Amino acid sequence: MYEFRLYLYVSGDTPKSAALASNLKSLLEKTLIKGQCSFEVINVLDNPQRAEEDNILATPTLIKVSPPPERRVVGDLSDKERLLTALGLIAEKESREVAQ
Amino acid sequence: MGKSILVIDDEEAVRRSFALSLKDTGYTIDTAASGEAGIKKVSSFEYDLIFLDLKMPGINGVETLRQIRKTNKKVPIYIFTAFQQEFLEELKIAQEEMLSFEILKKPVGAEQIVMLTKLILGQFEEAKEASHV
Repeated sequence: MYEFRLYLYVSGDTPKSAALASNLKSLLEKTLIKGQCSFEVINVLDNPQRAEEDNILATPTLIKVSPPPERRVVGDLSDKERLLTALGLIAEKESREVAQ
Repeated sequence: MGKSILVIDDEEAVRRSFALSLKDTGYTIDTAASGEAGIKKVSSFEYDLIFLDLKMPGINGVETLRQIRKTNKKVPIYIFTAFQQEFLEELKIAQEEMLSFEILKKPVGAEQIVMLTKLILGQFEEAKEASHV
């Protein structure tokens, strides 16, 4: 079972969304232990009901649903340090760096 | 110089709501009452962010997006719409054309407008003070 579960909500299946998903996936792989993280990309255009259920206000939105507490980041997802801090994953990054 | 935002919506109440919500943020807010007027404004000024209504008389949000993207590929454009299949189907056309856009869910409150605008424009600390998502 995955310890970390994250959802990325995007608007459209476009190269921009794909690049964002790829960058985030790469960041998570560097930050978390392999196999420890589930990362799902959800296109709001294809799945509006799920976006409603998750109270998505705008795209892109990245949500860490587990472990609790839930954290979400909206808008500019380009600042990696800020992103990891907002998601509460900065401690994982630092422990990986120490281990290496 | 402060950042500039353009709000394109045929409903005066929506334009006023954005302008009032953002008036104390230091951003410059400009509005356009139609897609045609918005396209004209974008052709003569470089905005940092555009909020664009999907449903408008005359040319709609998708066509307005298409026209703006012919000359400006960089500016973030947030299309505001309800998350209903019938509206999102229109945006799938834009997706198929690889037009770059983001979505803002309608309706949106004043506090959310301020917070989301700051997040989009990269002013994270200010956004934290504004509210919680």
